[in-house]
Amino acid sequence: MLQMQAWRPTVTPAALGAINHRVPDPFERLFLQEYQKVVAIAYRVLADRTAAEDVAQEVFLKFHRSHSPDSERASGWLHSAAVHSALNVIRGERRRAQREIAHALDPARPAIASPERVVEEAEQRREVRRALRRLPERTAAVLMLRHSGLSYAEVATALGIKVGNVGTLLRRAEEALRKEVNRATPE
Amino acid sequence: MRHLSDGTLRRIYDEPLALTAADQAHFDECPDCKPRFDAIANDARATAALLRVPSFEPQARAGLSVVQARITREETARPPRWYERWLDRKSPRWRPMATPAIAVVLAAVLLTGLGVSGVAQSLIRVFEPRQLQAVQVSPSDFAQAGAPLDYGDVKWLPEPPKLQQLTDAAAAQAQSGLPVLRPASLPKGVSGPVSYGVVSHATGSLTFDAARLQASAARAGVKVNAMPSSIDGSTLVVNGGPALIEVWGLGSTAETMNVPTLVIAQTRVPTVDSTGAGTAQLEDYLLSQPGVPPELAAQVKAIKDPSTTLPIPIPKGLATTESTQVNGTPAVLIKAVLGAGVVWVKNGVIYAVGGQLTPDQVLAIATSLH
Repeated sequence: MLQMQAWRPTVTPAALGAINHRVPDPFERLFLQEYQKVVAIAYRVLADRTAAEDVAQEVFLKFHRSHSPDSERASGWLHSAAVHSALNVIRGERRRAQREIAHALDPARPAIASPERVVEEAEQRREVRRALRRLPERTAAVLMLRHSGLSYAEVATALGIKVGNVGTLLRRAEEALRKEVNRATPE
Repeated sequence: MRHLSDGTLRRIYDEPLALTAADQAHFDECPDCKPRFDAIANDARATAALLRVPSFEPQARAGLSVVQARITREETARPPRWYERWLDRKSPRWRPMATPAIAVVLAAVLLTGLGVSGVAQSLIRVFEPRQLQAVQVSPSDFAQAGAPLDYGDVKWLPEPPKLQQLTDAAAAQAQSGLPVLRPASLPKGVSGPVSYGVVSHATGSLTFDAARLQASAARAGVKVNAMPSSIDGSTLVVNGGPALIEVWGLGSTAETMNVPTLVIAQTRVPTVDSTGAGTAQLEDYLLSQPGVPPELAAQVKAIKDPSTTLPIPIPKGLATTESTQVNGTPAVLIKAVLGAGVVWVKNGVIYAVGGQLTPDQVLAIATSLH
């Protein structure tokens, strides 16, 4: 149950900008508007905060080199780049295991039940990422875009498909992922 | 009569308001589409659980500094040439997957993965609300409730629900998987900033244990009815959340910060599955326990279909309720001295809009959400 007493006023980036009376340039505006989403997509794929922020920053750099921040296709491009780049990372990387466990056991993280549970959770996340690696690119992309919180319209724009087809692709992608996970862990 | 496609059913799990009026009418009447929707919703929940990651709210300002520093460095160095190849991967490798009916397997994997192995085959859905009903409660009835009784073994799989406070709509949407809803316009007196609360999805289980209940009742000095043998040993698996709460008008001064002017909340309907006891048995038993006011028990028992009706507690004397509609969906309008609220359930999501507003204002906001 939500307790209203728990709410505290917080300063938002928008409010800070207003205080500074500084008009952000178009790239800055785009960055502040999309960064959370781009990181969320990469993080959902990678389950690693540092790696997700690295991917997001690379994506924005690449965007900056080749596109105008005023383009109306900017958001779709960023989302698409985020998911494909992050999927490329998990397809290529094999040394994440140790880093994930080290991250999970980081004493700076909020307290969790037990080290065994932490290792188990990290192992499950790794298993899911192994399954993701085996999925066709677009199947994995639709799955991760939607599960990182993008609306159906945003997923459609990022993948260049009709919004009416997102549900069908997503449904199949979820079945495909579960099948891969089941295959790897019978019982 | 053409049934809704899997894709459409999958979409309304995420975006319940996206359904056309004709499809909604079909969905409301069709005996085939509802169970298909339930199976698809279960798969979606199971996948969300698989893909769950610990919460994380990245700092955009810090990220911007890093990227701006790199841009400055690059602009003083050579122009890069290798970049486009990296992202232009339009590989048309998509192929339709075979679609075996794996709903049962999914549920089983989820549950075994979460540590309740062996029970999936025998689960029966005992509670999944599709409609709402107000029940009057007197706050004083609960004031004297004694020590909580120990009904059995409680497990959170993997952890209890957590409330996160966020300031960013995109992060709130990403964390909750629910769309951030906006009214078409805000009534006078309601203004930003908007704060977001996200309650994570959680699965919990309770395994009834007659011996433990008797022992705790003896310790607390309370008399409890004997637990029927059909309930003893059976497990309830409760699925709740995620929930997304949007709050307007938390002022920055000490006097105003705890009084929001508008709250829009949505949560996936909670579900309860049981390995043994059915809805009627559980209801009879739980309502006869000490601490449950007889008047409340009578109201809950009077609910015609307890497995699909969510009782909304209304404090007696402080608020009144009446039936209304939000875009054709039955809803409960709550009128209180300080404000009003409206609650409705649609396509597996419970919505609530309320605040220091008139009933008309609340209804106008509710019908304009998008």
